[in-house]
Amino acid sequence: MNYNEFLSETLEKLEKVSSERELAELKATIFGKNGAITELMKKLKDLPPDQKPQAGKAINDLRVQLVEKCEQKEKELHKAKIEAALKSECIDLSIDKCDCHSGAVHPINQVRKKLTDYFVGNGYIVYDSPEIETDYYNFQALNIPPDHPARDMQDTFFIGNGILLRSQTSSGQVRLMEKYKPPLKMICPGRVFRNDDDSTHSPVFHQMEGLVVDKNVTLCDLKGALEGFAKFIFGDQTKIRFRPSYFPFTEPSVEVDVSCFKCHGKGCRVCKNTGWIEILGAGMVNRKVLENCGIDPDEYHGFAFGVGLDRIAMIQCSIDDIKLMWDNDVRFLRQFR
Amino acid sequence: MKLPLSWLKEYVDIGDITPTELSDKLLSIGFEVEEIIMPRDDIKGVVVGKVNEIVRHENSDKLWICQIDIGGETVQIVTGAQNVKKGDVVPVATVGAELPGGKKIQEAKLRGIDSYGMLCSGGELCVDDDVIDGASVNGILILPSDFTPGENIMSALGIDDTVLDVSITANRPDCQAVCNLAREIAILVDKPFKMPKLTYKCTANAEGEIPPVKILEKELCSRYIGRLIKDVKIEKSPKWMRDRLRMCGIRPINNLVDITNYVLLEFGQPLHAFDKKFIKDGIIVRKGVSEKITALDGKEYDVDGCLVIADAEKPLAIAGIMGGEYTSIFPDTTCVFLEAARFERSNIRRTSRKIGLRSDSSTRYEKGVDWQTTEYGSNRALALIDMLKCGKICAGIVSDGIPQPQNKVITTTQKEICNLLGIDIDQNVIVSLLKKQGFTVKVSGKVLTCTVPLVREDVDGYADLAEDVMRFYGYDNIISTYSENTHQTRGYMSDHDINSERLKSRLVAMGVDEILNYSFISPDAAEKIMLNGAELNEIPIKNPLSRDISVMRTQLLSSMMASIARNCARKNDVMRFFELGKVFLAKELPLKELPDERDVLCVGLCNDGDFYTLKSIVGEAVKLFGKSPKYAPSTAPYLHPNQSLHVEADGIIGDFGKVHPLVCENYDINANVYVAHIDVSGALNKPIELTRYNPISKLQPVDRDLALIVDKSTPVGDMLALVKSVSEYISEVKLFDIYEGEQIPQGYKSVAFSVRLQPAENTFADAEIKQIMDNILTETAAKFGAKLR
Repeated sequence: MNYNEFLSETLEKLEKVSSERELAELKATIFGKNGAITELMKKLKDLPPDQKPQAGKAINDLRVQLVEKCEQKEKELHKAKIEAALKSECIDLSIDKCDCHSGAVHPINQVRKKLTDYFVGNGYIVYDSPEIETDYYNFQALNIPPDHPARDMQDTFFIGNGILLRSQTSSGQVRLMEKYKPPLKMICPGRVFRNDDDSTHSPVFHQMEGLVVDKNVTLCDLKGALEGFAKFIFGDQTKIRFRPSYFPFTEPSVEVDVSCFKCHGKGCRVCKNTGWIEILGAGMVNRKVLENCGIDPDEYHGFAFGVGLDRIAMIQCSIDDIKLMWDNDVRFLRQFR
Repeated sequence: MKLPLSWLKEYVDIGDITPTELSDKLLSIGFEVEEIIMPRDDIKGVVVGKVNEIVRHENSDKLWICQIDIGGETVQIVTGAQNVKKGDVVPVATVGAELPGGKKIQEAKLRGIDSYGMLCSGGELCVDDDVIDGASVNGILILPSDFTPGENIMSALGIDDTVLDVSITANRPDCQAVCNLAREIAILVDKPFKMPKLTYKCTANAEGEIPPVKILEKELCSRYIGRLIKDVKIEKSPKWMRDRLRMCGIRPINNLVDITNYVLLEFGQPLHAFDKKFIKDGIIVRKGVSEKITALDGKEYDVDGCLVIADAEKPLAIAGIMGGEYTSIFPDTTCVFLEAARFERSNIRRTSRKIGLRSDSSTRYEKGVDWQTTEYGSNRALALIDMLKCGKICAGIVSDGIPQPQNKVITTTQKEICNLLGIDIDQNVIVSLLKKQGFTVKVSGKVLTCTVPLVREDVDGYADLAEDVMRFYGYDNIISTYSENTHQTRGYMSDHDINSERLKSRLVAMGVDEILNYSFISPDAAEKIMLNGAELNEIPIKNPLSRDISVMRTQLLSSMMASIARNCARKNDVMRFFELGKVFLAKELPLKELPDERDVLCVGLCNDGDFYTLKSIVGEAVKLFGKSPKYAPSTAPYLHPNQSLHVEADGIIGDFGKVHPLVCENYDINANVYVAHIDVSGALNKPIELTRYNPISKLQPVDRDLALIVDKSTPVGDMLALVKSVSEYISEVKLFDIYEGEQIPQGYKSVAFSVRLQPAENTFADAEIKQIMDNILTETAAKFGAKLR
């Protein structure tokens, strides 16, 4: 038998193979018990001894060559088979099946978390203070004695026996200062309550009080702290402005405006054409408040600020109706996922 | 506070500053202008005219032809009005004029006669009797005869003024007065302040006639000045005064009353005018004792314990709040006793709230009137009475009270002020800015001794001075510094907050949306979830906005149900909600101490999952805290008795399950609702420790499947828990089928599960596996009567 002829014939057959099954059949005719190669090997023993080594080598070369070609063919066929399968496994990618979806933290709490992270990163502790409070912590210790006109600034819900719903997170200042001594840096976020319900006020809302007490604290430090916070929330180009104001527990007291994040001061609907948005009240802690908490006001200064979280959330998320915050409408909540 | 610019200009020359610029300036010193009330700009070309001649139109019964002097020019106007006669002064809309509503006046021919304009009614000019008498008559507005023809009607009627509505902070009651606000503005614009006239001529003697004054409560009334005015003529006050009162929101009444109100606005001193003939003997300022008084508003008030102004027999007025009806000024009053007094602010506030009566006067007193202003107020009123010739002022003064209080003196230094502010301001600048505001400052080296004017009762210490310096130095000069001179501190969140955030993240990851509800609810809410509100000790609010939000919540469920119901009603009936909020638990009512504020997690599923969905959400939430939940039957009345569980773990206690159908009915919810209500306070306050790792075996596990037949009522979870406990080598028991039906006897079920055996040190021998599997069969047979299928 002519080896070359056999090789080319076999390769021709191999070329025509179109399935893994056909390949297996072909391989059996070559390498099987009665396969061509096996037969050739059997005939080897009939050859004269001097021809045996040469013929043996030739048969082996032939076998190696065929094995290689078969393996190659096998890979090709397997790949083609997978590809055919992939082709048949088409699905409609344009639809959604909502097996998995996440929920949303309420926008007010998203803001609360964002601000908390900022201040914690700047060395503030987070302090929790009761929502049902005594008159002392909500008013008297904050330099608002009974029958003081400043009580009119906040319509308070009363429970009785000198107990009320806190109207400001400032009560947390007093509790913190009674417990810890300076240097102090804290924020106190939480719910506050006022007897007020109209299109721009809700009887329950969220504030975040900030307090820093140390030696050498100045009004300029307050501005720096608030500017950092404003830039973090509203962007790097944000400027802040102090305006004189009045709170019984700070002196001097300021209202703080941020440059409008939308128009950057040119004037637009968001800032009612003023270029500024009022975001919080702040000031240097009144020395009477420090004294009430057992801190020497000649040794220490402090600054304090109170941010309305609902207001920040409304500004940032362009929410124009405060009622939405408490309505729990799924169409509202799901937008914040 | 309303500030008419024309009034302001009387005391300070503000030049050509626009109202907007003035508002910005006021803002910079702490007074926010809430509104700039501009005069209306839709009336143009209307002037005062005088009817020189009026004749009937030849071709009409109703029309008249008038020749009208509009100031140096006479125009012919045809009118249909019937109330105009020769000599009347009327508003004339000339050709080209504009009226409210966009009406434009043009030349016209009325039945052949040319008409160059229109006479206007009060209605057409949008004014009423408050602005000018006769404005509401049906017909043309007949103006007072002293109006000058040709003058613009807006200025003639006094409605051309711009008024600023200024918000005055509570620390500056002194600036609730036009005059004192003008003083601040004078500093702002750097112009002199012109004090209103305080002098007058006394033209009568009242020896023996003027009632003596005695204050019995000097704590509550520290100054009282009484003056007498004889031969009083009660009439209308002049138009300029009425205009100003009106612009400030006060209704003009008569000259005497208007003067007291004018002084209230101008100086911030409430005054009261009594008809002298009703004062018996003298004035006594005392507390009321079982007495009643009918006030000017016609209502009777019990003044027991309230400070009153009385005569020898009866209370005449509720001090600082309102006068009595019968001692007030009537058209026939001829002799007036004028009171200027200083009442203690908190007492006025208490009394006003107690009797439920507020007035311009009480509102002003509540904010605080200083000792000196009382005298200014009295003198200013007399100066106006003199000027308007309302009567003869008597020379005598009656007064009582405490002596003039000492001015506060604050000793400070430039350094002290600047250390608080953080910027360096020159000492001379500080001194100059304080002096401009009425402080007397003595400089001795570095020490500044500042005497505070009496009117500035708010100033207590150097911090107040620092603020007053900054107001005029400019807050824009405050720079940002970053606490370079203070200590480094460690910032951190409390365990409570960290855990709350983690719990929320976990719930959100399970597709649950966070909701927020008010902390107060309706006292009827508990009943809707089949709880008893009284037993829950719900804390009532004394002054709630409405019954719906009048008690503090002790549970989050009712609000959760209401939220779900609201969404369902809007045709959105698929949701997963959670609220992590505080409830308020009182030990006893009424509260004697602060209540326990506990953190509760409430989860609600509506048409989104079943009991098992909720159970896995609850389980995942509990596992966050590193604890395995322990379950027991629930007795919560708001839950389905057979589809609910009580859950407990360390620091966690609550109930969950399907909502009772009656509760759903109470909320009109027609959906599958599952709720969990779990107190997590204990768990939230403990730090969550990182989990300890259990070594993972390198040996292959062996899986064996089993199917057991048990009674239909057998709790499969309990049985599988038993299976798991049979051997320490059982690492997992997985339920894969519960089957009832063919091949299974009636009343029984087949439970198929796989058991994974995890060898620890050596691979299992067949005998070991068999032993474990036999033990499973024995124990389940013993406890649950299970048989191998």
